[in-house]
Amino acid sequence: MTAAAGQRARRGRGGRRAGRAWRGYLYVLPAAAVYLAFAVLPALHTAYLSLFEWDGVTLGEWAGLRNYREVFTDPALRGAVFNALVLVVFFALLPILAGLVMTGLLSLPRASLGGAGSRRRGLGVYRLLFMLPQVVPLVAVGVTWRWLYGEDGLINETLGGIGLGGWARPWLGDFDWALVAVGLVGTWVLSGLCMMLFLAGVHKIDPQLYEAARLDGAGPVREFVSVTLPQLRGELAVALTVTTVAALASFDIVYVTTGGGPGEETTVPGLLVYKLAFTDGKVGLASALGVVLSLLILGLVYVINRLSRTERT
Amino acid sequence: MDGHGIAARTRAPVFLALLAVLVTACGALTPGTAADPDRPRTVPSQTAVPQEDITLSLTFADAPALVDALAAAFHKRHPHLTIEPRYTQFADYVKSIKLTMASDTAPDLAQFAVGMDDIAARGDILDLGPYRDAYGWRKKFPAAALDQLTGSGERAAEGDHLYGVPAGLSMTGIYYNKELARKAGITRPPRTLAEFDRQLAAVKKAGMTPLSVGALDSGGLHLWAALLNNAMEPEKYRAWVKGAEGATIETEEALAATAKLVEWSRKGYVDEAAGGTTQNDSTGAFVRGRGVFLINGNWAAGQLSEAMGKKAGFFLMPAAHEGARAVSSGFSVSYAISSRTRHPRAAGAFLDFLASKEAQKIVAANGFLAVDEEAVPTPKGVLGDVARAHRRVTDDDGMNHFPDFTAPGMLDPLRAGVQKLLAGRTTPEAYLASLQDVWDEQYGSGR
Repeated sequence: MTAAAGQRARRGRGGRRAGRAWRGYLYVLPAAAVYLAFAVLPALHTAYLSLFEWDGVTLGEWAGLRNYREVFTDPALRGAVFNALVLVVFFALLPILAGLVMTGLLSLPRASLGGAGSRRRGLGVYRLLFMLPQVVPLVAVGVTWRWLYGEDGLINETLGGIGLGGWARPWLGDFDWALVAVGLVGTWVLSGLCMMLFLAGVHKIDPQLYEAARLDGAGPVREFVSVTLPQLRGELAVALTVTTVAALASFDIVYVTTGGGPGEETTVPGLLVYKLAFTDGKVGLASALGVVLSLLILGLVYVINRLSRTERT
Repeated sequence: MDGHGIAARTRAPVFLALLAVLVTACGALTPGTAADPDRPRTVPSQTAVPQEDITLSLTFADAPALVDALAAAFHKRHPHLTIEPRYTQFADYVKSIKLTMASDTAPDLAQFAVGMDDIAARGDILDLGPYRDAYGWRKKFPAAALDQLTGSGERAAEGDHLYGVPAGLSMTGIYYNKELARKAGITRPPRTLAEFDRQLAAVKKAGMTPLSVGALDSGGLHLWAALLNNAMEPEKYRAWVKGAEGATIETEEALAATAKLVEWSRKGYVDEAAGGTTQNDSTGAFVRGRGVFLINGNWAAGQLSEAMGKKAGFFLMPAAHEGARAVSSGFSVSYAISSRTRHPRAAGAFLDFLASKEAQKIVAANGFLAVDEEAVPTPKGVLGDVARAHRRVTDDDGMNHFPDFTAPGMLDPLRAGVQKLLAGRTTPEAYLASLQDVWDEQYGSGR
């Protein structure tokens, strides 16, 4: 084959490849159009609005980067970001720990008995129970917990009942405990999600690994730490990503339970974006805070993904 | 590679096209629109009711039953005029009203809400001044209620543009549980602040919760405003709320009122659960016998009367001296006319109808205070207490705005600020300074 012919052939192949690529884009088009219209464009529009001083109705005024300067210098806005980072502990770390413990307990018989079919009886019931918080709308969750945390609520009554009446307090109105109280609602909601993710992951683990571990004399705990945990790395990364985003972008639970109070103890960026835009008429500043929050979340998610990937190889 | 190059070349126009779409999209999305100078800014001065068939749309957030009844009664009086109510939940209403009134499909009539000054400044609602004179509204409505709805069309503090007309009024005050109060040796409402102080102390000593406050939402600011109403001269306070030049809340009187709130909290007079309790929940707890006193508004009177009967009573936060001017906080369910309406005279007829005896009876039956207490019979029990207190406030021209009417961004600093005061997390000075900061941002400090 001459060089020219080879070149022609390659060009032909390239043309076919380009055609195939085009067809590929055609398939992607509907989804891409929807994504573009409802995710990318609004995001760009928000970034654009963040450069204005605008009340939502009258003609906006160009502000340049002034809104961003305010985001980084206003102590109230910085405090909100700090609160969101505290919530990461309750929305991400605690649910993952709880999810792992529950997974360990629920998959225990299967692992120690070695048979794939012999699951703990009533597993479905447990799954349903722990998954329930995911199914209930967050607003209903918030209202329910507001009652539970109330002065005469179940939590204070229980504390009184077991002789810890001194600990009873208006949890959501307490400057030291409100954020913890709100955070624990998130823990309650997200633990079930983590457990479901991990349980699904456990079912994919090769039973031979457990068999090998048992032949080596590993107990249930050792099995969990040496086999289950490393095999769940992918699921852990997903759970961490989802829950971290939930913590940083939290809005509904806080809005319904405390409205950001007492004082600004539980104010989170999501709540501030809403308040700034819709009650204070500062759409530009709200957009700037939204953009900063998005970048923060993207950054954290990137770090999580990188960590889980490097550990795997 | 060649093939790659071709693919890249064919892809490039796509990206360029996308980029073009984005850029043009952004260009068309320059936020906001300027006001239209050609639209009328004021209503005509004739009061003749048009005789053709007209349907007026009315967007509102409060009391659907009241609005339906008013619309039906109005239709009965003027059979060719129909009111078509459009209900929106309050929280959404406040957020969407600016856009609703700025749109080309704006309703003919709209319930007045916080931020209406901005809407008036944009020329989206009409100045009702000519109607005020033609219909004689100054005689039909309480001065304070009209005053709260008056401004310059640019700034609420100046001018005599009328933005809206009240249907029913609201007012805050203190409810008390007569049965529990008697256990603490209290047999009558306090006449002075000092007497109230002693009563709170007596309740505390008797081992009960003195004052229930739903400070998770707006109960805290009602308590603060009630104390402030009796400390600060109403005219000075109103100048501040309306953004008059040089007005300030950082005064000796306001400081004393704020310090009183802190003192009550420190002495354990305020329910320690206040910061974690909503107004609704605090009212429910009061019904169940938690708290001898409760700060709330007339909107809770119906519920309390039904649940507690003769056990419930109501009084205004007392002033320092007996027989002082009766001052309280309140606002109205009031309606404005859109500048885009094609039927300003029909809309005017509806607003004037609100002052009629017939309309006032409907208003009272729906739990609001009538603009003219004489027009309706005084109810019994706690509802009667509220009506009588309201008449005193009206007679003394003592109805103040709620403090959050100062600026759209004022509600949050008030709510969070009172929570901090109650918990001893801020000083009265810092609290007042934070409110003044919001005021300065809205109205400018150097003016």
